[in-house]
Amino acid sequence: MTAQSDAPSAAPSPVSTGIGKLIVPSLIGGLVALTLGIYGRLHSPTGVVVNIAGFSSAGYVKSWLATIATVFAVVQVISALVMYGKIPRVTAPSWIGTLHKWSGRIAFLLAVPVAVNCLYALGFQTYSTRVLIHSILGCAFFGAFSIKMLILPKRGVPGWALPLAGALVFTVLVALWFTSAYWFFSTFGVHR
Amino acid sequence: MKLNTPVVTLLAGLVLGVGVLVTSAVWPSGSSAASAGNPYGATSSPAATTAAPAVSSPATAATTAAPATVAPTSPAPTTAAPTSPAQTTAPAATSSQTKNVPSKADYVGKVNGGGAAVAVSVSGTKAVAYLCNGGAVASWLRGTVSNGKLNLTGKNGAHLSLDYRKADATGSLTTDGNHYMFSAPLVHRVSSLHRQPGLYEATAMVHGVKIKAGWIVLQDGSQIGSVEYDPDSAIPPTAQAPVLDLATGTAQYDGVTLVASLISGISGSGF
Repeated sequence: MTAQSDAPSAAPSPVSTGIGKLIVPSLIGGLVALTLGIYGRLHSPTGVVVNIAGFSSAGYVKSWLATIATVFAVVQVISALVMYGKIPRVTAPSWIGTLHKWSGRIAFLLAVPVAVNCLYALGFQTYSTRVLIHSILGCAFFGAFSIKMLILPKRGVPGWALPLAGALVFTVLVALWFTSAYWFFSTFGVHR
Repeated sequence: MKLNTPVVTLLAGLVLGVGVLVTSAVWPSGSSAASAGNPYGATSSPAATTAAPAVSSPATAATTAAPATVAPTSPAPTTAAPTSPAQTTAPAATSSQTKNVPSKADYVGKVNGGGAAVAVSVSGTKAVAYLCNGGAVASWLRGTVSNGKLNLTGKNGAHLSLDYRKADATGSLTTDGNHYMFSAPLVHRVSSLHRQPGLYEATAMVHGVKIKAGWIVLQDGSQIGSVEYDPDSAIPPTAQAPVLDLATGTAQYDGVTLVASLISGISGSGF
């Protein structure tokens, strides 16, 4: 273990020997976020959006997709807490892993078209605090999610890595929702 | 195999993202006509050749002939359009007068690069344009239509030139030494919004100082607005405008309620 660990300042404690395994996923995640941000900044926003039948505007499509994704993300946190035995008097049912995986996949796949639409039609913008925060977090989300997915199958990573990555992904997504869908609904009303 | 599923998830997301991106890119620029029940739709925009029902069929044949001003005689609000009543925001062009400039039209859009938004409204021989970035940049321009060309000027050498193509107003605007290029689509009615996309203006006295706010409400319902202090001065200090409440048409500024009015070439308001 220690031989292959290339963590620069790894402490002698055996717990930290897996830190090196986090480097590559973290670099890739950082690259993902950076790529999205650079694309959003360089690409001329088109304003062109593909709307979905039954919705009044693309803003509502995105707001609802983001909201559903956030609901699934809450399922993620709860199912993770159950799996880690953090909820008193609740023992993990056999299907909890499946629930966790699929709620995550659905949330992610719902978020993708929203992000593409944002980046393609609107771009990385900075004209207000909300917009700036949203732009940064939007890019960071997919970086954080990539990190989490990449360390998921790895053996021997520190025990705190996965919960930390998961918490990061969740926190960023909720912050994204507040800076977009919540703002949109509270500004324009909740409907389709 | 089980180990790969997270990576499969990532790749699935990548494929989906590229798919959506390609769809967006190849979609005709009148894109929003994609769905029949869609309030953007059925506005006889020339690009709506895809699925647009009823209305556009006569117009599509004419697209090549009269690019900018399709929908010449086409239909009054009696269209079969399902949702919104006042669909005909497309320019009601009188092709006899001017070849390129519709007599009544409203355009809003972001400038290239997205750093600001621009609105252009044409009513008869008069035109108003506004550019702002939701911050320190705000520029009002006025002018006239002559010989099918728009010539708008504003304070401090601000100048706008326009080119009408398809359903877009493409042009450039120079203000305070900055040069903006834009291609702003025609405003389409959005039935879900109480206040329609377009250009809004409000002036008020706040603590003894005259202020003038301008908002550009984009087609997706988002807005960009700037507010000028003492707008009659040579170089008015300019900042981000307070949020325009699209339900009430008002905004709160330092405890004062600003009442916004629409500047629209289609309805003629504000001219």
